[in-house]
Order: sequence, then C-alpha cells, then structure tokens
Amino acid sequence: MNKIILIAKREIAERFQNRSFKWLMVIGPLAVLGMIYLFLSTTTSTNKEWKVLLMDQEEIFNAKLTANPPKNLNFDFINAFVDYEEFAHEERYQNYDLSVWINEKIVSNKKVIVSYRERPPESIQRQIIYLVERRMEEIMVDQFTDLSIEKFREIKQSLNFTFTDVYDPKNEKSTTESWVGFSFGALIILFVFMFGMTILRSVSREKSNRIVEVLLSSVNARQLLTGKVLGVGFSALVQFAVWTIIVGTGLYLFRQSLFPDMFSASLVADEVANADISYDLANQSPFVELIYSQIQYMNMLVFFSLFFIGGYIFYGSFFAMIGASMGSESDGQQFIIPLTLLLFISVLSGYYVVYYPSTTLSTWLGFIPFTSPMVMMVELSNGFQEGSVWKLILSISILFVSAFFMMIIAGRIYKNGILRFNHRLKLRMLIKWTKK
Amino acid sequence: MISVENISKYFNRQTILHDISFSLQKGEILGLLGPNGAGKTTLIRIINQITSADKGFVSYGGDLMKEKHLLNIGYLPEERGLYQSMTVEKQILFLGKLRGLTSKEAQNQMEYWLERFGIREWRKKRIEELSKGMAQKVQFICTVLHEPDVLILDEPFSGFDPINIELIRKELLNFKKKGKSIIISTHNMNNVEEICDRAILINEGEMVLEGTVHDLRQQFKEGIYKISFTGNMIAFANALWVGYEIIDKEIHSDDSFTIYLKMRQENKINDLLNAVIGHVNITAVEEVLPSMENVFVKSINAQNEIISE
Repeated sequence: MNKIILIAKREIAERFQNRSFKWLMVIGPLAVLGMIYLFLSTTTSTNKEWKVLLMDQEEIFNAKLTANPPKNLNFDFINAFVDYEEFAHEERYQNYDLSVWINEKIVSNKKVIVSYRERPPESIQRQIIYLVERRMEEIMVDQFTDLSIEKFREIKQSLNFTFTDVYDPKNEKSTTESWVGFSFGALIILFVFMFGMTILRSVSREKSNRIVEVLLSSVNARQLLTGKVLGVGFSALVQFAVWTIIVGTGLYLFRQSLFPDMFSASLVADEVANADISYDLANQSPFVELIYSQIQYMNMLVFFSLFFIGGYIFYGSFFAMIGASMGSESDGQQFIIPLTLLLFISVLSGYYVVYYPSTTLSTWLGFIPFTSPMVMMVELSNGFQEGSVWKLILSISILFVSAFFMMIIAGRIYKNGILRFNHRLKLRMLIKWTKK
Repeated sequence: MISVENISKYFNRQTILHDISFSLQKGEILGLLGPNGAGKTTLIRIINQITSADKGFVSYGGDLMKEKHLLNIGYLPEERGLYQSMTVEKQILFLGKLRGLTSKEAQNQMEYWLERFGIREWRKKRIEELSKGMAQKVQFICTVLHEPDVLILDEPFSGFDPINIELIRKELLNFKKKGKSIIISTHNMNNVEEICDRAILINEGEMVLEGTVHDLRQQFKEGIYKISFTGNMIAFANALWVGYEIIDKEIHSDDSFTIYLKMRQENKINDLLNAVIGHVNITAVEEVLPSMENVFVKSINAQNEIISE
C-alpha cells in the first residue's frame, strides 16, 4: 500500500508542477463563470420593443395604467379573454409579444398570468409587475379603503404573477432540469477524457523513457497502475474542487455585486417605488432560475463525484491499457479514436435521455457503464421518484463493479505490454494479453 | 544468494530461454554473457520478478523469490530511464523510498553518494539538464542507494567515459569486498576478465558455458606460447623442428623479437626451451590464454554450427 501511495504522490506532484494543469485550474472555472456572466447579461438587458395585450374582461383597469410605461413597453387593452391557442396562432394577435390576463376575481385570488412568445428579460418582467401592481393598488384603495396608497402598501397582499410560454402553457417541453444534469454529465465526460489522456501520456512516457523497468523491479505492475490511476484521479478531484470553489464564489459575487437587482426582492421593491412587491424567483429567466434556485448542488456534487470516480476508473483503465500496450506513440492513436468515439456516444446518449427520458433505451443507457455516468446525471437532475431509487443504486453498483474488472484486465495488459517495444499493436494481441 | 533453477520462457511458440540453471554466491561477481537476443535481459527480468518464467523458479537465500526479496536487489536495466522533469534529488529520494528506505535513510544515503560521485551541486538540476554520463551516475546511485545485497547490472559501463568506467569498476569491487553479490550482463569482455569471478554464456536461450574466468580461458587454450628473446631470428628458427609452428612474430629491433608459436604433438614448453637455449637469449616465456572475447566467439560459433547441423 505504501508503494501505491508513493507512486500516487509522485503523480500528484507531477500534475501540480505541470503548467497546463495549473492554468486549467484557473482558466477552466473562469471560462465557466464568463459564460454564465454572458448569459446573465444577455437575459437582463434588451433594447427590443415589447407589445403587450392586456386582457381585462371586467374592465377592472379601465384601460389605463397608473404610471407611464417605459418606451420599450406598449400596452393595448381589450375587454375580452384570449386563450393560449388563439393568442398563439390567430393572426390579429401575432403583433403582440406578451399578454397579461387580469381575471375577474383578481381582487380575491391575486393571480396574474402573463403569457409570452419569447421569454422577456428580467427588466421587462419587473416593469410589467410594477405597472400592474401600481394600478391594482390604485383600484383597491379607490374601491375598498380610505387608506392612502402608502398606508395600503404596508398592509396589502402582493399579486402572484405567473409567466407562461404561450406555445407550451403546460410547461411540457421544459427540459431545464435535464440540462442541469446534462451539464454535470458532460463535465464528467470532459474530466474523464482529460485525465484519461493524462494516464495514457504518463504510462506511455514512462514506457518510452524506460523508467518503467526500474519501477517494476521495486513494485508490481498492478501496484504501479493503481498508484498512477489514484494519483491522476486525485489530481482530477482537486481540479474539480477548485473549479467548484471558484465558480461558487463567482456566482455568489455575481449575485451580490454585478446583478443585485436581479436577485434581491428588496432591491426590486425599491425600483418599483417602494411597493412591497415580491414575486417568485422561479418565475424569472430559466437560466437564473437554474443557477440560483433549481440546482441541488449538494446532491449533484455528491453523485457527480461518485459517477466521476466510477467513470474515471472505468475509462481510465482503457487509456492505461492503450498507453501500456502501444509500440510507439503514433501506434496508440488508432485505439484512442474509438475510445474518444465511445465518450462522444456517451454525451449523445445524455442528449437522447434529455428528450426521451422514459424510453426503454434510456433505462438501459443508465445501466451500461460506458454511458451511465452521463445518463444518470440527467436522470438525477430530473429526480428519482420514490420506488425507483434502486435504478440509481444499481447503476452505481454496475459502474463500480465494471470499473473493478476493467482495472484487473488493464493490470494484465499493462503487465504484458509495458515492456514490449516497437511492435504494431493489434486487437488480437490485446485480447491475448488479457488471458495471461 | 540467488539460485536460478531450470528456467524456461516461451513467447509466440518461440523458446526465449531453455532450462537455464546457475547460482550466484555471496561476495561473487558473475558475468552474464551472450550475443544480442540471447535471452540475457529476459533472464534478468525473470530474476527481478518483472517477467514470470514459464518453467522453473528463482530462489533467494533458499526461499522461493518473492516481492519482499526485491528490496535486497538493486537493478540497473540496460535501457536506463529517469523521470526527465524531476530533479536529481527528488528522483533519488523517490526511488529510494520505493525500495523500502525511510525518508531520513534515503536522504542520508543520497548525501553520501552525491558526495562520493562529486555531483552534490547538481542535486537541484532536472534530469533533462544533465549530460548522459551524469544521468548514468544518478542511475547508478538509484540502484545502490538502498544498499542491496545483490546488484544486477545490465551493461553497467555503457555510456561512461574511461574515467567513470574506472569509478564504477572500483565501486563494484568495493561492493564485492563488503560481501555483496553482483550479476553483470555485458558485451565488454575486458570488464569480465578484470572483475568477474565467474561467467556464464547464453546463446539462443541455452546456457552454453559456465565456470570461473580462469577455468574458461584454460578450457579454450590452444597451446600457444609467447617467447621474447634477443639474438638472431634465423638461429631461433633453425633451432626449432617440426614439433612447433610459428604463428606470429613481433620485431622490436634488429635483435629483439617476440614469437607466438603453437606446440604440435606431445611437445612441452621445456622441450622448446631446451631446443632454443644456447642459440638465443630468452627474456620472457608465457602461455597465451585466450581472451574472454575469444572464448565468447569460439563458443558461440561452435554452438551455432551444432544448431545448423
């Protein structure tokens, strides 16, 4: 065990001395943060003009708003209800980007449904909420109390806004949760590929500079391989942990300083003239919703780690096999291509499961160790219903058992191939070496 | 110390080693000789447990060789390798610890050897910054750092300049004095003659010869004598009769010669001396033993002839 630790420690030290490893540790998470920043920026500002159809059957609003809407918001009032189907497809409504339904019982149920063709950015959503709330305050004060608007605001109950896609009112097409899992799964595959290639390069370098023979006179092939896989794997986990910390800190800082208005209910309230407007964060942009309220980070990180470790050992064994058995560096390329293809298929299977989560194929893809790390992250983000957690347990078990067997096979090929040089690697040769 | 018994190894239906047996005694330097592809490296790897034998076994101190015994062996492979980006110091410490030394022991041993080889100031340099000879020294240090009882060295002198060859040779003799056993696989027959007590010769996976260096040279001698004299060359030649054949001569001056001659029939050196004394002044006489190189070439040729027949 000491020897395995020694080898693992040397691998870790080598990774940490490697410039590209250190750069990746900083640039990787910053690139992720940069992309998030870009998404957040684009979803919070727009110059587009939004045309709004305010449907007020009972003419509660009397075709007027209290405050003047901004230039990029144009309201038209009708005293009729237009259902989703009509609004989506009838020609006369095609000019409207949004519809706001003031239902006849709004005074009691406090519900406002805003339907859209294209989800409006945060600023537009806030403006609509602000304008409707202000008008509603005016109506309530006028009709039901003697209080001043300021006093009424202190005691009033806020309206409850729901933003709905007019083309998918039941939210059936929503795959937001699945994409969270897909992102995590793709990150696993990315890390598996990056660090699998690190194993391959490390093994082939030791082979080509012949230090491996010196090492093998002190440790056996299995110890050497295990130490290497553990060392590189630990470096990968440290890399991921640093990514998590940097991205986590970055997201916190975004929330606190760069986009405070987007996230803080009190700041939103300030903007709408001190009105006590609170609205559900979940009704904001799907991306904001995704980042700040939907992802169950603890859950995802725990299973990310489990599936990464399993997937890394499973695929890493293949990379180690190729590194140990290739006669020359170019010789190994022929086997790296199909392996990369397998990883690509794994990503595609995740994509498939995002759109077809309930098919038999999706279920099987969740159990096959080549695809399970990707697929199960998608499944996890969708949530497992009670009674189907066994699928998750079975998938992890299959992955780890497969990884264990792959390590044994990789150990055999490593032992037989590591001291062979200048040969042409053939599949037949690999199969033969697994039997010895 | 080490006993190799009936070792055979096959690869792709080809015999790499066939029924090889020998033993290495305590305090002995054993030369493992053989042409390229004879199976020497495979045999060394089997002894080091890097490769397994298909038949036979290796024992260490009477016990079947196991992983724990490897801590008592220092192995220097022919194709030497070091981690190019690691510093000399880190490399030595890593390999020392891998061979069972504690950090402190490895550190102390490293200080001793860096000092002894005069490369102390190179400790912080990366291997890729060193000359080939310097890297060879580091490799040698890594091999002996854990003070093994047995050293197995594959071509230990290759890549060294004459000064460093002498340095390594002296170190090996020091190890021998301390009672350590050494196996040297080499093509350099001068080294074998100079430092090996015993040699075994492998060809085509078979053990062709085994014996002390002296015995092997005796075994292959051809009855050639070297006589140095002053006087008249014609007088010397006339004094000989058909029982001797001159095979070579060295002319040092008009009256100083060295003659190489071969005995014929049952003639002895005394008969020769009786024949020439009185005709010339003999200054030196010695029997010419074949060099280990000759032994090597003759044995290989003889075995190849047998195989081809």
